[in-house]
Amino acid sequence: MAEIRKVAVIGAGVMGAGIAAHIANAGVPVVLLDIVPKGANDRSTIANGAVARMLKTNPAPFMHKRNARLIETGNLEDDLGALSDCDWICEAIIENPQIKRDLYARLNEVRKPGSVVTSNTSTIPLNVLTDGLGDAFAGDFAITHFFNPPRYMRLLEVVKGAHTRDDAFDALKRFGDEKLGKEVVDCKDTPGFIGNRIGIFWSTVATRSAYDLGLTVEEADSIVGRPTGVPKTGIFGLGDLTGIDLGPHVIASMIDLVPANDPLRDFVDAEHPLTRLTQKMIADGYTGRKGKGGFYRRTKIDGQTVKQAIDLKTGEYRAEQRSTLESARAARKGLRALVEHPDKGGQYAWTVLSHVLSYSADLVPEISDDIRGVDLAMKTGYAWKWGPFEMIDMLGADWLADKLAAEGRPVPALLEAARGKTFYRQEGGKAYILTTSGDYAEIPVAQDAWTLADKKRGKEPVKSNASASLWDVGDGVACLEFHSKMNSLDENSIAMIVAAAKIDKLGFKALIIGSDADNFSVGANVGVALFGANAAMWPVIENGVASGQKAMQGLKNAPFPVVAAPAGMALGGGCEVCLHSDAIQAHAESYMGLVEVGVGLLPGWGGCKELTIRNIANKRRPQGPMPALSAAFEAISTAKVATSAQEARDMQILREGDGISMNRNRVLADAKKKALSMVEGYAKPEPIEVNLPGPTAATAFQMAVEGFAQQGKATPYDVEVAAQVGRVLSGGDTDITEVVTEKQLLALELEGFMHLIRQEKTLQRIEHMLTKGRPLRN
Amino acid sequence: MTNVVIAGYQRSPFTFAYKGALAKVRPDEMTAQVVKALVAKTGVEAADLEDLIVGCAFPEGEQGLNVARLIAFLAELPQTIAGTTVNRFCGSSMTSIHMAAGAIAMGAGRAFICAGIESMSRVPMAGFNPAPHPGLYQRYPEAYVGMGITAENLAKKYDISRADQEAVAVESHARAAKAQAEGKLSDEIVPIVDGNIRVEQDGCIRPGTTGDDLSGLKPAFDQAGSVTAGTSSPLTDGASAVLVCSEEYADAHGLEKLARIRSVAVAGCAPEIMGIGPVPATEKALKRAGLTVADLDIIELNEAFSAQALAVMKETGITFDNTNIDGGALALGHPLGATGARITGKAAALLKREGKGLALATQCIGGGQGIATVLEAC
Repeated sequence: MAEIRKVAVIGAGVMGAGIAAHIANAGVPVVLLDIVPKGANDRSTIANGAVARMLKTNPAPFMHKRNARLIETGNLEDDLGALSDCDWICEAIIENPQIKRDLYARLNEVRKPGSVVTSNTSTIPLNVLTDGLGDAFAGDFAITHFFNPPRYMRLLEVVKGAHTRDDAFDALKRFGDEKLGKEVVDCKDTPGFIGNRIGIFWSTVATRSAYDLGLTVEEADSIVGRPTGVPKTGIFGLGDLTGIDLGPHVIASMIDLVPANDPLRDFVDAEHPLTRLTQKMIADGYTGRKGKGGFYRRTKIDGQTVKQAIDLKTGEYRAEQRSTLESARAARKGLRALVEHPDKGGQYAWTVLSHVLSYSADLVPEISDDIRGVDLAMKTGYAWKWGPFEMIDMLGADWLADKLAAEGRPVPALLEAARGKTFYRQEGGKAYILTTSGDYAEIPVAQDAWTLADKKRGKEPVKSNASASLWDVGDGVACLEFHSKMNSLDENSIAMIVAAAKIDKLGFKALIIGSDADNFSVGANVGVALFGANAAMWPVIENGVASGQKAMQGLKNAPFPVVAAPAGMALGGGCEVCLHSDAIQAHAESYMGLVEVGVGLLPGWGGCKELTIRNIANKRRPQGPMPALSAAFEAISTAKVATSAQEARDMQILREGDGISMNRNRVLADAKKKALSMVEGYAKPEPIEVNLPGPTAATAFQMAVEGFAQQGKATPYDVEVAAQVGRVLSGGDTDITEVVTEKQLLALELEGFMHLIRQEKTLQRIEHMLTKGRPLRN
Repeated sequence: MTNVVIAGYQRSPFTFAYKGALAKVRPDEMTAQVVKALVAKTGVEAADLEDLIVGCAFPEGEQGLNVARLIAFLAELPQTIAGTTVNRFCGSSMTSIHMAAGAIAMGAGRAFICAGIESMSRVPMAGFNPAPHPGLYQRYPEAYVGMGITAENLAKKYDISRADQEAVAVESHARAAKAQAEGKLSDEIVPIVDGNIRVEQDGCIRPGTTGDDLSGLKPAFDQAGSVTAGTSSPLTDGASAVLVCSEEYADAHGLEKLARIRSVAVAGCAPEIMGIGPVPATEKALKRAGLTVADLDIIELNEAFSAQALAVMKETGITFDNTNIDGGALALGHPLGATGARITGKAAALLKREGKGLALATQCIGGGQGIATVLEAC
């Protein structure tokens, strides 16, 4: 089947609309249809309303508001004709087989030959859905199961039916991977596929066991949270987030479908006190964050907002009590230390993990032949840090099997087969995985999709220090990896940037900058600056800024192409690294910006300079210097962060020619490809000179910021910090008839930075950020 | 001295900047259509015109170059008609009327079109490239004071409550809505047509605006202040034009005379309370006409802000009853450069319609000025 160029989504509920938005994020036109409600003036009101709502939803389903224009809305009575040129029709309507089949019959009348139809069902078996629709339809049909919200949850479960055409299925998977950036996991046609099968069991066991073992909700969440590799909301916090009313529905539908001997049945009990409590909560409107409250709530007592949690035994709210379980702390020594801890937290962790890991092991090969698929599904669909089989490796397969046996519990066959082994193994620079037959199979590394770990395996870095390393990623390309805490940049990182700018001497012809970490870099380590300022070590601070500037200029002027490959946060100094690269190949979910004013500083490693130059040089922005400078000024003085790579392009952080990779696993490969494409005939950038308006522009900015302060939108100290930013961006004391060099701009940055770092209020901001993790508005 | 009359008044619909129906229409195009309609409606012989004088507060971008000349081309006026663009911010197009009146009085022309232009959607207030004088801003920041703050200053100085400000806005919307509903605005409005866009009606008026609607709004300029978006005139797109000629010319050509210009004046005041500008300007103009406020039947006092209009009324004794009887800028909108010709043309038209004797059109001007025109029935 040819490439998927146009898509239709039927059903504009939360999932359907979210899927349509994400397809639009990929730049692919999408038709979104729903029914005509009775008596509606606007016959397409459901789809239109969904798009309008999504433009206001936070977190945003759209990577850029403009993407909404790629969605063509309509209704199922007037607009079926719009499907005739769609290559993929994704159905996301009510979970009712007959209604779905009736819809498919109508689609068959209008869809083009060879187009593929999929259902986003999470419960209905594939063969039920195709029943009676003929072989041709079955050949074009598959299941594509997205997770909510579709933009952010990386898992896409796909199910191929017995008749599904290979080429159609492959085209779907390729589209899901390359265009939608999903972790596409092959699933068998079993209830809940992988993610929900294990996830619903996990949440059921975790909530019920918390009650049975006498843990408070805070205690439970302190264990089934970070210590077990789950997002910090924990299990009860997660319920509040997704909606407590959802739970009974999904459990009921799973119970109907799972085999008679499925262990889920052991944990579902309508008479259990926790079941009754949640029923009462739902009936009373305590459905979580969207309702009056959930297991947690914020409420006002005597005018003060207080956090409360529910007492699982009494059902009454009481003040939140921090968990003091020792086991939660012991978990820092590893998963085994947690589950072996004697306190009730340890017992709870063991109860939950032993059941979930056994359940997962028992489900292979029923739900998947590939343990890696199971792990990937739980990691990308439920945001677990480790998949079940990775956790078994962490605990030790033998240890787990022995402990289960010692407790008189059944040991899953797969776990028995893994005795004396690990599920994952690395050897000779290759990674292997245990198969159901007990052998190891190599995990292939694709040419165009790999992680840095794939390239590092079995190798030593070219250079390395505590904060950064240089790796050989093949074909003459080196990769600069930051690996300090949160990838904050310190003097070691700077030293490695300097070394990276000389890799041509080691025979490399191009450099990429990136890693497998969640965040590219959260910026310079301001703790060091705070320490220096408190000790009045001004020359040391000044040297630090100057050497950073020099390192960035070195990167920019290196005699070979440099491509930054940001993903996640690229803030402050991290953004400045990107701004000094020849090109950027960003993951679509990159959050970039110059946020220094949040800590009372200004971008001092060339960020002011680069954003000024980028905006001034933007040919699409006409009419004199101020619109360009205003854009840079607004971005820096308000610490604006792009909430996607597409938005970063609006901010001129990404330039024309810079690329966006939808799939996280392709970012480094795409960056390498881009770097190699630039090697031939590479010339380092010419030094840039710009005409800037000088004090008149600084005055105009000052006037604007003072107006914001009067309106209450800026603090008095914001005005002072912004004045320094304005002075740098406007070129200091220059005149519009004179040129300003990069060097002069860097000197202005340094001067502004040093002025600000000496201010008490800047130090207060830094300290606040370091201790509280959020900016101080002083 | 030669008598000068206003012998015709037309304007475009006024609509909200950015979100309004005229946001996508070039201001020069919009103004040309108004000028063309004025020529057609008055029946003035275009070849007799001396000059097209266009007032504009931010003459750059699509309002740049000498936009008056370009409007003349767009309106297909004869090449022999000259064109000039003048700037006195909000007083720009009233100034264009004063310039024509002065020229006629000294025999430098018989008939002029005096127009006003402002697309606040397409040319931002303060322009694309604000470049304030750093030294002046340091020494005398009042020179660049924001308009909203001047309204706050007046509210404080004259002790004008937020509720009083809102009452003016409610009344302005009510009067404008009534005038619109009764068709009293249709004579002056020229439908603007540009491609698929056709705009026939004012877009800023919010019929049924109540004090409750306004009392919930946040202060727009000073978080501790009382001036809100509801008590400020909105950013507006619009154009206006009047035919100014000698009375002799009007009589000779059978043109309909709306009003005679009795006197004019401009005056400066403190920029931080620029809204009070109509007070000294009105005093001067009335004195030149040998009149007092009590003699005036019809008043058009531009409502840049409620607080500003109330301060002027307090200081001059002007009553709201005979002021802005078809609604003011709070409801209709205030396309800066176009307002002066609107309120002068409107005052003249109202004298005729209401059969009254004397009228005043006056407005405040950013930077600290006022401008006033006294009209009498012909």
